[in-house]
Amino acid sequence: MIYAAPVTEVTIFGLSSGAVFALLALGLVLIYRTTGVLNFAHWAIGLMAVVTYVMLTALGLPPQVAAALGLAVGVVSGVLAYRLVFKRLGRGRQVIVILIAIGLAQFYSSVAQFALGFEQFTRLQPWLPAGDVHLGQVAIRASEIITAVAAIVIAFGFLVWFRLSRTGRALRAVAQNKEAAMLAGIDDVKYSSIAWGIGSALAALALLLVMPHSAGEQGGIITTFDVTPFGTLLIPAFGAALVGGLVHLPMALLGGFVFGLSRELLILAPKPWSDLRASMAAILILFLLLLRTERFFATRQELEALE
Amino acid sequence: MKVDVAVEPRHGSAPVTEELEAPPVARVARRRPTRGQLLGLASLGLISVVPVPFGDFGYFIGQYATIYAILGLSVVVVTGYAGLISLMPYSFAGIGAMATGIAMASWGWPFWLALPFAAGATVPFALFVGVTSVRLKGLYLAIATLTISNALGETFFTWETITGGDSGHFVARPVVGPVDFGGDLAFYLLCLGAVFALLFMVEGLRTSRVGRAMLAVRDNELEAQALGINVAKTKLVAFVLSGMIAGFGGAFLAQLLISVTPNAFQSPFAEATSLLLVTLVAIGGMDRAIGAFVGAIALVVQQQIFNGFEFFFAFVGIYAAITLIAFLLFRPGGLVQVGKILADLTRARPALGLSIIAIILVTNVGGAWLILSLS
Repeated sequence: MIYAAPVTEVTIFGLSSGAVFALLALGLVLIYRTTGVLNFAHWAIGLMAVVTYVMLTALGLPPQVAAALGLAVGVVSGVLAYRLVFKRLGRGRQVIVILIAIGLAQFYSSVAQFALGFEQFTRLQPWLPAGDVHLGQVAIRASEIITAVAAIVIAFGFLVWFRLSRTGRALRAVAQNKEAAMLAGIDDVKYSSIAWGIGSALAALALLLVMPHSAGEQGGIITTFDVTPFGTLLIPAFGAALVGGLVHLPMALLGGFVFGLSRELLILAPKPWSDLRASMAAILILFLLLLRTERFFATRQELEALE
Repeated sequence: MKVDVAVEPRHGSAPVTEELEAPPVARVARRRPTRGQLLGLASLGLISVVPVPFGDFGYFIGQYATIYAILGLSVVVVTGYAGLISLMPYSFAGIGAMATGIAMASWGWPFWLALPFAAGATVPFALFVGVTSVRLKGLYLAIATLTISNALGETFFTWETITGGDSGHFVARPVVGPVDFGGDLAFYLLCLGAVFALLFMVEGLRTSRVGRAMLAVRDNELEAQALGINVAKTKLVAFVLSGMIAGFGGAFLAQLLISVTPNAFQSPFAEATSLLLVTLVAIGGMDRAIGAFVGAIALVVQQQIFNGFEFFFAFVGIYAAITLIAFLLFRPGGLVQVGKILADLTRARPALGLSIIAIILVTNVGGAWLILSLS
């Protein structure tokens, strides 16, 4: 049976979690395209921003300032990861690159555990306005709507910037053909650092939008589940990036909403189908992997350059 | 065309291609073990008596380290030998542990029957992953195994018939005649026997026909195909062997924990432990069986000693991650390679080599002692 369900509520919830997946996925795709590293530490880097936010709000800073500083720490963590580690690795040693990214995820998540002091739960203050918005008869948390709208605006703004700006063009050139880009005078290291910085900023933003508002008006809660190398949202974010074959930014954006909406809308499905909710992301990802989506979005030459 | 070998040490041991051209080892008549092999055996023997003075606590750590070494060997086969990244070794171990739980607790099987059953129970899953791996390369496979591990946690490990609900299964340790493996020393010896047997089997696999095919596939798939190696079959065999080893280790894990609960194998703890396994193998040295053993000792011993103090537990996590990254950047052969370099150095310039070894030992052991005595 179908519940007399708050369809609007669930849709908004799906849109906001989809927007968060989309932000994570855009960062993953940007870093992968530009530097050939699939960033398994994406979640852990975002976690650094959240940890900074927690510590600064505990010191009594206004939450908005703390969030901005947290974002900066996220960017620094990502750029440092590239400068200190991935810059030294040539492409084409893929097993090593993956293992190092995994090591980095462990490093940042251990630092986060360390900083949060091993509490079962850590409370977070919200930094977006609390309270409900009434749409007809249903009440929706303001932070949900702000998250969805902010993420969508930022994601689209990023896409436009990536297509039109000078930096965006240079990033695309490095992604398409590194050697030719370097011949044309584009500094590979500089633009790879920029890609890592922006990618990490998107991850940090995604986590900063979700975590401080996960429990409504009381703010948010971080559990031991969240302070792990891959957390709880990285796998659907990989899925969203796979919709664009790990290389196509607009499709990754779309993918985020596919994963977010399919996850939330399944709540409304009749009984045997709603049980699929937990494994929906896995099924979709395996399907996308077997479809080998990268074929549709990148030429053979580009794929060989990435491998 | 020579391709840069991903996990082959840059210094020291011979490149893989030479090994491929060497005459089959089986043909060589029984030869006397070399001095290096004897030294290795002696040090293995020495390491295995280290827990004795520490009593039950020592045996418990020893059991943990040996079982993680078994699970690490499954990573050696699939990632070290065949070059396939699998982020789900702990899920295979979980399947083995659950199979042991069902067989022993619900069906009343003895441990000796449950052991092969646990190894066999992983085969269908390993075949499934293996079939996917034939189609997927590199990081796509990493995503796939991560996803499958996650999905198993949501489906297989929440299925109450298999997991026995939240309380899990209760497994008693085996008793054979007068020997009761419920005791810590006896069970430690059992684990030790299992890990040594597997160590020799996995090291032997490296020079066997199948193992050399795996190494060839790892180095260059096209070249391997041109040599007449069935690439798909080799990958499948690697996954099945790795799954069976992990399932075997899982059976011992069930015995160690005595009560097998499913939530350790669910997301995100399953992924985190799988990462730990991959890390310890990469620190030890990925392309040699002994690397899993060395890595397991190095990491699990530290972790168990510091487990009581969460502060230092995370500190060990940071230490392990930095070590992993540093090793992969500068010495991809891991501790095994570093040990070999140090051994060569000691042979050439004994004073310098021994003092470097002493410094490394003193800083690590001394640091651990300092932290323990401070807290």
